[in-house]
Amino acid sequence: MSHSRTLVLKPTSGWRAIDFAEIWAYRELMAIFAWRDLKVRYRQTLLGAVWVMGQPIVSMLIFTLLFRRVAQLRVSTEVPYPVFVLAGLVIWNFVAGAINRSGNSLIGASHLISKVYFPRLVVPLSNVVTDLVDFALAAMLLIPLMAWYRVTPGLEIVLLPLAVLLATIFALGAGLWVAALNIEYRDVRIVVPWIVQIAMYATPVVYPLSALPERYRLVAMFNPMAGIVETFRATLFGTPFPRWPLAWSVVTSVVLLVSGAFYFRRVERRFADLL
Amino acid sequence: MAEASVTIEHLSKRYKIGAARQDYATLRERIAGAFRRDEERVKETTLWALRDVSFEIAQGEAIGIIGHNGAGKSTLLKILSRITEPTEGQAILRGRVASLLEVGTGFHPELTGRENIYLNGAILGMTRSEIRRNFDAIVAFSEVERFLDTPVKRYSSGMFVRLAFAVAAHLTPEILIVDEVLAVGDIEFQRRCLGRMNEVARSGRTVMFVSHNLPSIESLCPRSVLLSGGRVARDGPTKEVLASYLAQGTGTAAIDVRTLIHHGNGRARITAVYVLEIDSETPLDVLEFRKAFRVRIEYEADENIPDASFGFGLVTRSAQRVFITESYELGKTYDLQPGRGAIDCIIRAPNVLPGAYAFELWISDVPGVSAADHVPMAGAIEITVSGEEPNLALLTSGMRGFVQVPGDWSQIVEMPM
Repeated sequence: MSHSRTLVLKPTSGWRAIDFAEIWAYRELMAIFAWRDLKVRYRQTLLGAVWVMGQPIVSMLIFTLLFRRVAQLRVSTEVPYPVFVLAGLVIWNFVAGAINRSGNSLIGASHLISKVYFPRLVVPLSNVVTDLVDFALAAMLLIPLMAWYRVTPGLEIVLLPLAVLLATIFALGAGLWVAALNIEYRDVRIVVPWIVQIAMYATPVVYPLSALPERYRLVAMFNPMAGIVETFRATLFGTPFPRWPLAWSVVTSVVLLVSGAFYFRRVERRFADLL
Repeated sequence: MAEASVTIEHLSKRYKIGAARQDYATLRERIAGAFRRDEERVKETTLWALRDVSFEIAQGEAIGIIGHNGAGKSTLLKILSRITEPTEGQAILRGRVASLLEVGTGFHPELTGRENIYLNGAILGMTRSEIRRNFDAIVAFSEVERFLDTPVKRYSSGMFVRLAFAVAAHLTPEILIVDEVLAVGDIEFQRRCLGRMNEVARSGRTVMFVSHNLPSIESLCPRSVLLSGGRVARDGPTKEVLASYLAQGTGTAAIDVRTLIHHGNGRARITAVYVLEIDSETPLDVLEFRKAFRVRIEYEADENIPDASFGFGLVTRSAQRVFITESYELGKTYDLQPGRGAIDCIIRAPNVLPGAYAFELWISDVPGVSAADHVPMAGAIEITVSGEEPNLALLTSGMRGFVQVPGDWSQIVEMPM
């Protein structure tokens, strides 16, 4: 009898290649995990949607009020501040949420990981898919707001998917690192959300990069999220692309994703023993 | 001879326990550890859960894996299911593998029965088209048609288990690895599950079956492998292997508890414990359901403790206490002198349902107030039933609590329409 496949199980060590063929073979499982999470989240349709869309709206109102009324800061943005800040928040929330959630995803799936085999990368990958759907919903809010303020996107809008792709690469890369570290070291779970929260203020989310004094701007550009947020807004509003920050973001995001995937693969074999 | 379906060669698995793991449990400690001198590091302890295990399974063979708790069964299954890697040796699996280490793995309570069939099927390795093709058969097998669109959190435990098993029963791998799944459901459903497993085995697929339910192993698997202390102790016809399993004192008569976790002020310490037959010195590590047994506790004391009380408690795998018995509550305390000694406790009519349990032990120097020594996990106890037990399936259903208590039922009034 010929066998569809022969599997040899033996000890492995060191760095391992990423088995794309296997991940592809498990694409249905990935889709079904994402589908499950969305289904559960939007089962009470209203509540799920209210959460995903309400959160950025409330934050936008708070920042608008804070910057314009209370602090009376003069940040000059090329588009009205509410539109500007909502765009920043939507993309930021996507990346921050994806890092936090894929970071915790393995722990959340521990009952599966200790009972069934599947490529463990499927778990954080499906999480990012779920987060992309949430992001798409939240981004819908920009349409009425841009219409209200009469902000018309330029031709650059066709590059928007690429900006989102860049954000996804960064989020997934960081998420893989956090997910793998999280299994090995228990304190990662506490530290990461805190870092992510603080990082928002170090990133031009609620202010433009140009609002920073010259000497801080260079430092701020080393934060790869700066280029990602600014690029997202540039594709949306047709404002000039932040050339150097963008280049830097592309390089760091790709490095983060590749190294994250390899690190994940390296520690993956110990997950079931550590969980 | 035809090529084996599963070849296991010198398979070993080592776990690092205790110190090593805690040493790096947090990133902060890891970073701090990098600056620590080597001799300050805690020595790591290792445990060989599986040691040099080799055997082959022919294509289409159904094989039972038996052994006491800690014998290495779960570790073997985990390696073969690719959940964990072996430390040494290798296993070759020729054909598509599916493993069922728990029914209902990945079921989501908020999703409906229908949705869970797709979810669970995918988790177990079925493709969507396979699930769609088998959907009606799965539903028919589970008998939950009427509740297909109800979230499974509203299901009774029986319905849940039936649906979960129904999905699993329709896996069609070349090699099927099954752990304990038959210990679920009512008698009728168990019979159908066994029938289904039989069909799978007869259809030329290779089945590896691990269970505490000895009669079902006997009826399903012509051949069995007995694991003991991580090694193959016996491999042969199931009848013979079961006989040596039941006869096995496994040589682990005394459980040395000195290296285990202790609490208490240390005025007296438990050093070893034996689980014995009530009327002989024969050690037991499988207890028969409803059969009395004896626990012998060896201790040492540094000083005189005039009113010491001893205690024994049975604990489930999920760390719930099933019962405790403490000597002073029964009017018995002991005057311990500095030195060593032993205490026996006979436990009669232990109507604890079959399954895997652990036990705890303690010595109280001031009964009800303080503990001289408390060993929360002193050892494992396994309670089994023999094939003659009339309500076998019910007893191992896993949803009858932990103790069998015969109620004295009588009808006092009946009002016909």
